[in-house]
Amino acid sequence: MSTDFSLPQRQSVVGIWVLFFYSLQRYARAFWPIILIYAFRFNQINKIYLVLSLIALFVVIGIISYLKYLNFTFALDSENKEFIINEGIINKTKTAIQLNKIQQVNINQSFIQRLIGVYELNVDTAGSNKKEGAIKAISHELALELKSRLLENESKAIGDENDTTTFKEIANEQSDFAEPFLRISFLSLLKVGVTSNYGRSIALLLLFFSTIYENFLKFGDDDNIYKEKFGNYIDQNLVLQSILFFIFWLIFIVLIVNVFRTIFKYFNYTIKQQKGSLLLSYGLISTKSTILKPEKVQIVVTSRNFFQKKMGILELKIKQATSGEKEQKGSAIDIPGCSTAEEEAILNLLFQKIPAKGLMLKPNWRKLIFSIFLTIGLPLFAFIVIGTYLDSAVFEYFFIVPIYIVYIGLIQYFKYINNRLFINNNFIIKQSGAWDIRKEIIEPSKIQAVSTSQLFWHKKLNIGSITLHTAGGDIAFQLGDYIVLKQYINKWLYEIETSDSNWM
Amino acid sequence: MENFTNETIDTTQLPKFEAVIFTSLHSKYFTVVIINLIIIITVMIIAPLMFSFFRPELFSGRLWLILGAVLPVLFIWIAVFSILGYKRKGFAFREHDVLYRSGVIATNTIVIPYNRVQHVALHEGLISRYLGLAKVEIFTAGASSSDLQIPGIEKEQAENIEQLLMGKIQKQL
Repeated sequence: MSTDFSLPQRQSVVGIWVLFFYSLQRYARAFWPIILIYAFRFNQINKIYLVLSLIALFVVIGIISYLKYLNFTFALDSENKEFIINEGIINKTKTAIQLNKIQQVNINQSFIQRLIGVYELNVDTAGSNKKEGAIKAISHELALELKSRLLENESKAIGDENDTTTFKEIANEQSDFAEPFLRISFLSLLKVGVTSNYGRSIALLLLFFSTIYENFLKFGDDDNIYKEKFGNYIDQNLVLQSILFFIFWLIFIVLIVNVFRTIFKYFNYTIKQQKGSLLLSYGLISTKSTILKPEKVQIVVTSRNFFQKKMGILELKIKQATSGEKEQKGSAIDIPGCSTAEEEAILNLLFQKIPAKGLMLKPNWRKLIFSIFLTIGLPLFAFIVIGTYLDSAVFEYFFIVPIYIVYIGLIQYFKYINNRLFINNNFIIKQSGAWDIRKEIIEPSKIQAVSTSQLFWHKKLNIGSITLHTAGGDIAFQLGDYIVLKQYINKWLYEIETSDSNWM
Repeated sequence: MENFTNETIDTTQLPKFEAVIFTSLHSKYFTVVIINLIIIITVMIIAPLMFSFFRPELFSGRLWLILGAVLPVLFIWIAVFSILGYKRKGFAFREHDVLYRSGVIATNTIVIPYNRVQHVALHEGLISRYLGLAKVEIFTAGASSSDLQIPGIEKEQAENIEQLLMGKIQKQL
């Protein structure tokens, strides 16, 4: 604890490399079309010029990085209680952050920074979304020291009366930094990559095959003679084999892409506990970090499919309260691939207890009939009407009909089987999905409004639907036991109206 | 701590939201519904007439026949639904929450507890203002589907409701 932060400090000397790589990355991103053209015309280019220009480029970026390093200083102004960052080669920028406005100080490490052995320090303030102060390259000890100095001042300003607790807080933070609360292993990410996003992959496959098939048909129309002449030469078995081979290739590629995407996005996923909130950071090339405040959490969604269940992993999605609907999509936080024990630990932290299932409600069988009518009945009707009255050519594709009926029928059946609502004293859990089984968990106190809906011919059958509106989205359950549902609505309303429990 | 009790609640004895008697909308609002209905129907009659005036080649005798058969059925349909819809709409203000019921084929009821209300607004449409009516809009922190709009309330009463709700919200804070 001897570093004098009141004098302007430079970053680590090795940090020039970090700046160099970041600049390189930025230029590569800006000029990728030119790079692409050069890559394609590789053989036509004079190699000596290429090498010379590359060297020149690296030298220029190197000089820029060095100048950036020279001109970047940070200092603590203890008189004015400010943290000051000076940067810029030609255009100078001076950022002054008042110490008592600092909310979070995060220490991260991206892939490049890990290679070089330095850390990144980000200062978050209240009032704006973007990071206001960022030091790109700093040694670990210095980062920890600076962090404690930045936060020390802040806690002094708040808690002059009870110094003991603030001291404890700082101590806690440091120990928390040392051992993260949760770390998702590389193996888990591999598992997630292999097992998720089937829907998208299947859609891609279908799109691909339909275009191929169409082209094939066109080809046949244009050149009938050609087809007759040469068609016989092609061995039927060979065609079948190559198609099968092709399908395997495609599945393989989709899996590889999924795995790489997952690893790039979520590499080194760590969750740390800080002052009662959670700090998540992840990413291979650029490390992203977000803060999660348990009291802002509205809905927790867990999702797992058959393979993920066998492998013992599941995905968590956390929806927070948002001010605008536009932000709704971006504010959901994904935690891919955690084990059941880790899931329980996270839920425990967010809810102070582990959600139990309690009373189970099933939807009426009419729900299955209705969804089959919507997804199979109506399209089939449209298909037949178009075929008989408009264009009988569509009947050539009739072989698709049984495949469609079986596929969609199975999906609807499993959706119906998995659709459940669990209610107990502290939680409401809605389970849904055909392949990926989702469980949406909310606490009754997070409910903003309740709406119910009942068709008039369902009155005698005692079935109806409810929607629970929260600040993080709606939860709907259709065609359940209406008397039971109404009883619970009355109970939830009673609980909301008699307590001052805050939903945020 | 001495006053703290934690008795089991008998959920069957709780006040029932489904047993609430709803107040129907003001009778003047029926005029608004009828005027809106007339406007819609006139537009739907005039639009094809205008079209046939400017582009007569598009309108064959067969199309007129189809229009003549479909439009009256559609008009009756819309009229029945507007009138029934007006009759089915109702609202209720309880001690701790506000309820609104609507829907012809399905009965929809939405309940918003006062301590979840974010803000309240009054809205006056052109016809409604002429008749001295207003619409009370109640917003929560949830998505727009969880907001509530009660049309056809007399201006004075609507203002009273707004005051009542503001008072309830203030008390919560």
